[in-house]
Amino acid sequence: MQYFTDLVVSGLAIGAIYGLIAMAFACIYKATGVVNFAQGEVMMLITYATASLVGLGQWPFWTGLMIAPFVGIAVGLIAERLVIRPMLGRPPFAIVMATIGLAVLLRSVIVLFWGSEPREFPGRGSETVVRIFGVGLYPVQFLALAIFASAGIGCWLFLRYNRIGIAMRATAISEHVAMLMGVDVRRISALSWAGAAALSGLAGVLFATAAYVGPDLFAVGLKAFPATILGGLDAVTGSAVGGLLIGVTENLVGGYVDSALKEIAGFVVIILVLMLRPNGLFGDRDVERL
Amino acid sequence: MTLVSLFRAGPPTRHAHQLRLLPSPAAGLAVLAAIALASALPLVANAFVLGYATLVTITAIGAVGFTILVGWTGLVSLGYAGFFAIGAYTAGYVMTKLGGSILLAMPAAAAAAAFASLLVGVPSLRLKGLYLAITTLAFSVIVNHAVLLAKPVTGGSAGLRVRRGAAFGVDLTSDRAIYWICLAVLGLSVVLAHNIRRGFIGRALFAIRDYEVAARVIGVNVVAYKLLSFAMSSALIGVAGALFALHMRYLNVESFELILSIEAVSIVIVGGLGSIAGAIMGSAFIVLLPEAARTVFSWFGGTLGDVFSSNAQEIKGAIYGLVIILFLRFAPDGLVGAIRRAIDAAKRWPLAY
Repeated sequence: MQYFTDLVVSGLAIGAIYGLIAMAFACIYKATGVVNFAQGEVMMLITYATASLVGLGQWPFWTGLMIAPFVGIAVGLIAERLVIRPMLGRPPFAIVMATIGLAVLLRSVIVLFWGSEPREFPGRGSETVVRIFGVGLYPVQFLALAIFASAGIGCWLFLRYNRIGIAMRATAISEHVAMLMGVDVRRISALSWAGAAALSGLAGVLFATAAYVGPDLFAVGLKAFPATILGGLDAVTGSAVGGLLIGVTENLVGGYVDSALKEIAGFVVIILVLMLRPNGLFGDRDVERL
Repeated sequence: MTLVSLFRAGPPTRHAHQLRLLPSPAAGLAVLAAIALASALPLVANAFVLGYATLVTITAIGAVGFTILVGWTGLVSLGYAGFFAIGAYTAGYVMTKLGGSILLAMPAAAAAAAFASLLVGVPSLRLKGLYLAITTLAFSVIVNHAVLLAKPVTGGSAGLRVRRGAAFGVDLTSDRAIYWICLAVLGLSVVLAHNIRRGFIGRALFAIRDYEVAARVIGVNVVAYKLLSFAMSSALIGVAGALFALHMRYLNVESFELILSIEAVSIVIVGGLGSIAGAIMGSAFIVLLPEAARTVFSWFGGTLGDVFSSNAQEIKGAIYGLVIILFLRFAPDGLVGAIRRAIDAAKRWPLAY
């Protein structure tokens, strides 16, 4: 039983990281109708840049968490301006392809710039296990859960009550109508990219402090796909829950079945889930008419 | 007959026009010339050039298959690498472990890939574009792990050596023979794909791409045609995988990473989405581009050349990424569109209006 709870709780901790990235996916999808295939790579770029900054200033690791959202906003705005903005108004298909291009480009440029050797995140946090209610976790994992929870609630409140959040939802429903109602669609697109990059930057730094900064960091972004799909691409809070579910599933499969299957557990789960619920667990059903 | 009129196709104005195999007799001549040139290549080329030519041909077969799904049916797939790997390993297994020839291996690879596509396709059927891209991506990741786990069949991480063997009583161990086989298969796939395109299947696929609900309303069985398109596309990609196994003689799971799927995506974008000629031109462009870039870099010599040789994989990725973004931005109709526009401009010159 102890083994089971440990697996579940550490699954929740990694799931929190997937959840943050999944929220980033949903944030862009919700505002612009585009799946950003470069989210994992954007996260990787922010993490590398933050790690370099923290290493340069020789600050403690938690400053990384303070810097990451701002680095993220900068990266998100630049990426949006250079790659996405010129394509606004084109079919989503073309924009999605452009994000795929951005993904490979970023991945390669990062390795060319920072080298392919994995490195430690400067000033790693403490390695002592903290026990609460008999459940052991590293402090970073607690931090991940706390940040995840506050980001999730924050996003939900923002989209529900904030003027800009409501404008984002309006843009997602219909770009044209939103424009007619006075929403600046271009600014919404930029904002959603900045917000998504800030979220994924947090996720990247959390993951890197618990593990390492390496050229395969983008794979964490890939693994957040199942989480987004599970929650429904258009449901920000749903995606967050999806992240937790995927994290726990992965850990349980890795712990009880086979550690090799851990890597693909999430992908198997989404193929199964989509068979039953094509729009994810929390997604809206599409209604179309001629 | 001027050079310009050779390419004059004009918009199809009659039904018979749409049913024709080639837009004009001149286009037929151009195709014949291309076939003759391509077949004569091994007589003059050295081993290095021939190797690249074979790779371009194999990639083109896969790209034609990919066009059926992405270009005509409008379904975005990131599963190219998965189907390619299934084709390659099936062929490798048939030829090496079962002792079959390439004549048996190719249909086996096509069947295996098509069957696998149905496995992914059935759950993905109800999904639209983006969801499908992610399930096919998931599929591709699962295939790679399966290859690593299924050691007795695939050799796991150690890889699989492939025996080339013979067919029709002809020895197939020479690189020239492999090239001609690939070229013949490419010719067959182009004719096949072109016939699918101009027949009722093609038009059903176009209808689904342009407006799925409308297609259903006019009586297209959307589910069946999506699956059919998925299966046809994957079968061709599987055949390309089989020829890849034959060409490389050694299969390793690292050849089938996600970057291969990205390569396929960039090929159809660079060539011009939905065009068969574009798929072939795009394959040549994308396969040869890293090599061309390497040559250019080596002129600068020194550090730049070193950077290239030690980071070949990354430079390839950066090039694919840039090419995808730039083509989408500045030439969304690809090489085919650029050529068409150039011809139009030449025809109208000097009186454009």
